[in-house]
This record gives sequence, structure tokens and C-alpha cells, in this order.
Amino acid sequence: MLESLQYIYAPQIINGLSIGVAVILMALGLTIIFGLLDVINMSHGEFYAAGAFFSVTLVAMGVSFWVCLLLVPLLLVPIGFAMERLLIQKVFHYKDRHILTLLLTFGIAMVLEDSYKIIWGANPIKPSAPISGASEILGVMFPNYRLFLMGFGALLILSVWVLIYKTQLGAIVRAAAYDKDMSSSLGIPVMRVYALTFAFGVALAGLAGVLLAPIYSVFPTMGRDFILMAFSVVIVGGLGSIKGAVIAGILLTQLQSISSLYISPVWSDPLVFAVMVLVLMFKPTGLYGSMKNA
Amino acid sequence: MKKQFQTKKIAIAVALSLGASFVSAQPSPIKIGVVTPLSGTYTPIGEQVKMGLDLAAKEINAAGGIGGRKIDLIYEDEEANPAVATQKAEKLFQVEKVDFLTGTVNSGSTLAVGQLAERNNKLIATTVSFADSITADKCSPNVFRVNARAGMQSAALAAWVDKEIPKANIFFIGPDYEMGRSTVSAFKKASTEKGAKDVGEVFAPLDNKDYSPYFGQVRAAKPNVIYTSVAGNDTVRLFSQMDEYGVNKGVTIVGASGTVTSQNMGAIGKSANGFVTGVGYSPKLDNPANKKFVADFQKAYSKLPDLYGADSYGLLYFYKAAVEKAKSTETDKVRAAMNDLSWQTPQGMKKMRAGDHQAMQDMFAVRVENGEFNIVGKVPSDLAIGPDTCTRF
Repeated sequence: MLESLQYIYAPQIINGLSIGVAVILMALGLTIIFGLLDVINMSHGEFYAAGAFFSVTLVAMGVSFWVCLLLVPLLLVPIGFAMERLLIQKVFHYKDRHILTLLLTFGIAMVLEDSYKIIWGANPIKPSAPISGASEILGVMFPNYRLFLMGFGALLILSVWVLIYKTQLGAIVRAAAYDKDMSSSLGIPVMRVYALTFAFGVALAGLAGVLLAPIYSVFPTMGRDFILMAFSVVIVGGLGSIKGAVIAGILLTQLQSISSLYISPVWSDPLVFAVMVLVLMFKPTGLYGSMKNA
Repeated sequence: MKKQFQTKKIAIAVALSLGASFVSAQPSPIKIGVVTPLSGTYTPIGEQVKMGLDLAAKEINAAGGIGGRKIDLIYEDEEANPAVATQKAEKLFQVEKVDFLTGTVNSGSTLAVGQLAERNNKLIATTVSFADSITADKCSPNVFRVNARAGMQSAALAAWVDKEIPKANIFFIGPDYEMGRSTVSAFKKASTEKGAKDVGEVFAPLDNKDYSPYFGQVRAAKPNVIYTSVAGNDTVRLFSQMDEYGVNKGVTIVGASGTVTSQNMGAIGKSANGFVTGVGYSPKLDNPANKKFVADFQKAYSKLPDLYGADSYGLLYFYKAAVEKAKSTETDKVRAAMNDLSWQTPQGMKKMRAGDHQAMQDMFAVRVENGEFNIVGKVPSDLAIGPDTCTRF
């Protein structure tokens, strides 16, 4: 019994946590863009891939991984800003903007995916982890890089939460999202705030790409890996809620992790989507309302 | 004026008859149709098939052809699609009147074209398709296979494991779809028959991100051998994550022949070292026939031959030996000559088993060492072939 706890459940829970952090990092940008801007960004996964490709290219050019952690998100800010201004704003003000932005970003995702194939080729690239080795936790070997990822991820999530809820900048963003007309009459440059918020979400996806590339390898279709899971987390947690994304992220990945011990792993994904369907049926706003009402 | 015209006519008639007699003095070539993927995903395989066949045809023609008749290869692109393959094969049989046909890659194409060959009373051979069924429950009197089938690869690997790690405790990791499950069950059968113990299995979804949730089960099972049949990028992730968690420490990793390939080897890097698989060919085989073949192949195409190139090259020598023995290209006579025929290939002597039309050949265990496949073991053909389960002829 003790042995099964030590060899099976403990590592399963810790592994689940490390995947959970990865999923939350992806969901974070998504929930901000979704919750604040009301845009369903289907190309979020491709920006995650962009971050990963940028970082392997920069590392190959001799830039250190730690510099990439800062540089790659900064490179993605102007790209996200331009995309919001030039493309999303064009369809944002129509009545059926949910469908239009969904189709638009889906198209962008396909264009990006094929561009990666042309530029970097279809074969996978595997960057080596910047922190090697493993540590023993509760008698189980655990890779150091994953430990770093969990710590860094927690710190990142906390700073985003502070930024949005505890700073004046965050208050401006939330105000612009809550009431566009009132905010702009108070002198808030709403359009620029929208574009910057979108760029911020895109940069977070890129940062997730840099962080996860050494674990999951880099290839053109990698953007599809987390996108369904991240959307489920955003929906279960509640649109735009950071707290909801964190709790739903941990809950769903633990469910996946533990259930894969008992059922065929192929069924652990449908299980997650079943939870999402149940949440949509009984609490359509998700576990925690929305950032706008905070 | 009229006389002049007459002379001209005679001159033309003479010229024509001379031409005709000149043509009939040269025996007509033997036409061999090749239906192989020259576009689409399987293009790299189709290219090797073409290079192997072209090289063998050039050699045979330079040495006087088959019984004085030259070989004429006629190519058609099958796009690795059974429907297209049957159309193109029908065209080759009916319009081009080919004597023999080969080239199909996809096992579905081979089976479909095999049925077509029966209707046209022609013979075909595959040099690539792996599916066991082609020379087992779906065998056909008109279809021959000169390459090793999937079962022979697992038999070779199981024999190697049994020799190196007797009574191994094996854990199986496969992708959860038809190919993954069939390769795992084939190797499980082959290895447990030799006394290895099955200590557990996990089937992960195709394109699985993270294998670490399964490592607890793997560790708890305490295997000393892990067999896997994942492929492509799944291999990159599985191998690097096993390395990350140290799951592969003190464990021998073995797997299907498609698990580590030249496409993903670069990305797997050092984590691929030590991986062992069973194959029917390696350019490193140390025998005079293979050394000459590899040198000629590299000279002609400035690249190394792979399994498909070598088996396609060997096929034309098989056909040549059969036609020379039969002294005819007629289907029934050639078929009779092909049964139990032995011939020389880059892999050494192969023998066509009459009972199921499956070629018997020595199999090899190869190990990945720093980006190269090195031969670490050999399994004689009679141990690798497995029972004849064809009941149709």
C-alpha cells in the first residue's frame, strides 16, 4: 500500500502538477484575451509554437535560454499588437463578432502553421533543457527542469494576477473591458488598451512556448497540443478568471493523471471534455464568474 | 515519271522490310510495370524502389538481359492510394501488356493489385509492404513478397532479446491505434514464447504530449526491457522524457523498426543511443554482394540505399533467375520456377517459400549508436520466418 502510494500515486500527482502548470500557462493568455476582449483566439496555440520556434532559433544563434525567456515575449508583443489592430479590429465591431473572430483567428492559425513548416521544416526539433539532472522527492526521481517550471510558472501566474487586480494598469484594462464608452469618455485610450491586452496574451503564449519546448519538443503542429485542454480550462474555470483558470487547470490535469491509472489513457481526454460539458450545462459561467465583474 | 515513282515504291518496300527484319532480329524486351508512390507522403520510399530497380535493370541489361531480352521498366505513380494503384496497374496489364508488375508500397495497394493480377493471370511481387496478411490469411497464388514481413522483424528482435537478456521482464508502450496494438501483440507473442515475462503495458493516444504520467506504472512493474512501437514525434517525446526521468536507467529499450528513423533521430539525439530493433537490411552488412551493391548505389545516386532500395534491387535478380529457369515469361511456368527458388541478394541468399510465397532471409538486430544503426545480431532465416499459415494454395 505504502509502496503503491510512493511509486504510483505520488509521482502521478506531481507529474499531473507539472502538466497542470503547462496548461495553466497556456490558458492564462487565452482567458485574458477571452475574458477581457471577448475574442475567441483560435490561433493562441500557434503563438505558443511561435515562442518555441523563436527560442530554438535564438538559442542556435548563441543567445542564452534565460535571455530568451525575456526576449521572445517582447518580440511577440509587436506581432500581437499589429494583429489586433490590423485584423481583429476589422471584424470586432460586427454583431456576430464571436463567429467572425473565431473564423479569422482559425485562418491565421492555419497560415502560421504552414509558415512554420516552410521556414523550419516538418521534422521535430528538440532543444536540450537548460537545467539538467533530477532530484529525489518522496523517494521518486523528479527532473530539475520540471521543478523549476512549477516554481517559475507559479510565480508568473501570481504576477499576472497582481498586474490585473492590484495595479492601476490592471484597473484601466478592466475598466476598458467593462464599459468601453464610459472608459473612453474618462480619457482611457481604449483601442490601444485592447491591442496591448491582446499583445500581452500573445506574449504569454510565446513565453509558455519557450518554457515548454525543452519538454515537449518543437514542430509546426505543436500549437494544437494544448489548445483544447486550455479552452476546457478557461470554460470550466470561468471566462476571464485567473483564479478559475488555476483551479480548473489543476483539477482537470489531476483528473487526467489519476484516471489514466485506471482507464485507458485514450479515455482521459474525453473525461476532461465531459467535465466541461457538465459545467456548461449546470453553471455556464464556469466555476468563477468573470474578471469584468471583479 | 511513272517509272521513277515505281522505283521509289520498291525502295520504300525494301527499306520497310529491312527495318522489320532488323527489329525481329532483336528479341522484344521484357516489360515490367512498376506502380509505386512517386508523389505524396511515401515519395521517399517510392524513390528508393525506383533507384533499386533502375540500378538492377541497368546491370542486367549491360550483361545481356534475361535470356537475351532486355528489361524495360514502365513506371506509374500510385500516390500510395489503393484505388489509384489498381487503375494504374490495370492500365499496365491491359494497355502496356507488361509481363510482371511490382512497386506497391502501401499494404492495401499490394492486396488490391494482387486481386487484379489474379484476374489478368499475371504475377506481381512487393518489395516493401510489411503487413503479415499478404503472405498469410490473404495470400494469393499470383503474389510474391521478397522483403521481410512484420512478423519476421519481431521474431528477430525477440530472438536477440532472448539471447542477450534471457527471461526478460518486458513492459510494452504502444500508440493506441491498429498498428500500435498489432505490433505490440506480435512482439509480446514472439517474446513470451521464448520465456520472457509480460510485466505490463500502456497504450498512449497518438500524438501524446507527456508520457510521464505512465512512468509510475513502468517503474512499479520493474522491467529490464521496454518495448515500444511509437513513431515520429511521439518517439522524440517518449525517449527524451524517459531520459529526463531516468526511467531508461538499467533498462534496454527495444522497438519496432519504424520507431527511430533518419527523420526523427536528430531530434531524439543522445536519448536514442542503445535502442535496438529488428530489420531485414542494413547498408552495413558485411558481405561482398552488399559491399558491391552499396558502392554502385552510392556511385549512381550519391546516397545510401535503405531496406526498400535493397529489396527492390534484389527483386529483378529474383525475376531473372525465375525466367531463366522457366525459359519463358508465361505466368504458370514462371510461378512454378519461383517456388522454392534461391537467389543472391545484398542480404545474402534468399529463398522463396513455396507454401505462402514469402521470401526467407536472415534477419538482423541493429542498435542505435550516435546517430548510426550498427548490426549487433543475426537471426537465421528459418528461425525468423514463422509458420506458413497460407491455406489457399
